[in-house]
Amino acid sequence: MTVSRIFSAVVGCAAAGLFLGILTGPAASMADDERAAPERVVSMNLCADELLLRLADPDQIVSVTYLGQNPDQSTVADKAARYPANHGLAEEILRLSPDLVVAGRYTTRTTVDFLRRVGEPVLELEVPTTLPEVEAQIRMLGDRLGQSERAEAMVAEIAGAFVGPATPDDDAPTAVVFAPNGFTVGAGSLVDTVIEAAGLRNLGAEQDLGRYRRLSLEQLARLKPDVLILNAEETSPALAYEVLHHPILDRLPKAPLVVSLSPRLWTCAGPALVDALALLRQAAETIETHRRAGQ
Amino acid sequence: MRRAEVSYPWLLALLGGLALVLFALSLAIGYAPLDLPAAGADALGGRETIGALVLVELRLPRALLGLLVGFTLGLSGAVMQGFLRNPLAEPGVVGVSGGAALGAVVVFYSGLAATSSLLLPLGGIVAALLVGGLLFAVAGRGMSTTTLILAGVAINSLAGALISLTLNLAPNPYAAMEIMFWLMGSLADRSFSHVWVAIAPMIVGWMLLLSTSRALDALSLGEETARTLGIGMRRVRAAVVGGVALSVGAATAVTGVIGFVGLVVPHLLRPFVAHRPGRLLFASGLGGASLTLAADIAVRLIPSRPELQLGVVTAIIGAPFLFSLVWRYRRLER
Repeated sequence: MTVSRIFSAVVGCAAAGLFLGILTGPAASMADDERAAPERVVSMNLCADELLLRLADPDQIVSVTYLGQNPDQSTVADKAARYPANHGLAEEILRLSPDLVVAGRYTTRTTVDFLRRVGEPVLELEVPTTLPEVEAQIRMLGDRLGQSERAEAMVAEIAGAFVGPATPDDDAPTAVVFAPNGFTVGAGSLVDTVIEAAGLRNLGAEQDLGRYRRLSLEQLARLKPDVLILNAEETSPALAYEVLHHPILDRLPKAPLVVSLSPRLWTCAGPALVDALALLRQAAETIETHRRAGQ
Repeated sequence: MRRAEVSYPWLLALLGGLALVLFALSLAIGYAPLDLPAAGADALGGRETIGALVLVELRLPRALLGLLVGFTLGLSGAVMQGFLRNPLAEPGVVGVSGGAALGAVVVFYSGLAATSSLLLPLGGIVAALLVGGLLFAVAGRGMSTTTLILAGVAINSLAGALISLTLNLAPNPYAAMEIMFWLMGSLADRSFSHVWVAIAPMIVGWMLLLSTSRALDALSLGEETARTLGIGMRRVRAAVVGGVALSVGAATAVTGVIGFVGLVVPHLLRPFVAHRPGRLLFASGLGGASLTLAADIAVRLIPSRPELQLGVVTAIIGAPFLFSLVWRYRRLER
């Protein structure tokens, strides 16, 4: 028992030392010429996949996440399918000997910490909540990849679509997001930004729903939204969706316009936001047209 | 043991009254204030106001399921304890509920339930029938408490592991998080569609279980005596297994496993029916309904969001009770 424990401890230390020896060397020299465009980029985050596959040259990328290859969750599944997938595990990433790892600020934390410790160049993407933050992130990644022009083009596409009246007034059509398990979306999120940009008032932002922003069906029935955004991609059965099919939703006195919006359109800060915006603008226009007809 | 202090009709009236009061309370408690009389008037008058909708589409199915599932669990517990003459027999302890949950999980996550909603309770019933049949085949009637509990532990751990496996293999990322619902049960956000798919098998199951009342009384005098009184053991056994499978299988398929109700309630009520197993049945059903409704009111009053699973509350009440039973039998065995 004791002997084997000591043995494994010694081996463990030796292995860690080996790692540090091998990996801090090249990483330290990397820091000097950081401006050089990376040639072996690995993404460890779905949103990083979406930006990377659009901004980088195809041969700059070594691996993307398995999530990025899933067409239910990703808007770049076809491009992602060309690369080997990783699951955000440290061993997988090290074996690929990347010269840039793009990770999310809040995902696969243990792996990111480990990669930093052994000196791998890691770029962490924040979770932007406003349009300027989205644009800044795209530019930042574009610069890092040596693809500033593509980044500028993407920023221009998104910014162009978002041009429009600023904050919706009190008379604007109202909307509420209803997601699996009855969650909704409040203020200070990218989704809220998109809803407002579409000229809709997000009722989820005006409710006191506590930390988890869970909206009970009773509360939802009372909100009387003009637009009900069902935010789910139902590809296989789960109890989480049952609340989205509850019979009460079909019988609300002031029947809302139901918009099904796949979460993949607005989970990540990328050009798919434009599609989400278009869907919601269309819904807002329908409500306005009904109102004018009713007057 | 205490002597019965109330007559049987009075006991049923009291328990029925308690269940009704808790049913009404369950309608009155929710996540947004509701003017119950006005909502009731709107609902009866056919006016589709928000209040009427909340009452009819949200609170009524929830309270009804609490009543039906609670009655099922209390009744099944009383019948199983009487038939097996074993104080620890109960659908949850012996693994029938766990098996039913596994059946429902397989039907639901494989996508079969999407083709017809009736397949969901069917999955629960078939699995409950298999577990019930297995239990009787392995141990039969003269089963000691130890054998019964061991069989229950084995079936429950297997069912739990297979539920976990099925949920992990399910393609949906939400599935793995839904193990809590299946193992601890909940009535949250249930709708009338859940009531309709489960109510028929539950009521047929109750009929079968209640039909064993006379046989259970006779059995309490010993199996030989029961036989001379003309009780057909095969038929009683079929009614018990079939009734438990139908009612508990259907109930578990729509609410998940709600433990301990069938264990606690018959024990609490036994002294009031002069320890006659036959009389215990209906009383236990009503008591089970009251306990389940009360627990479901509690999960909505406890300020924890998302709300607690119903099985958490029944286990907090039931587990110490089970422990006290173990304590009592330990003393008796000395």
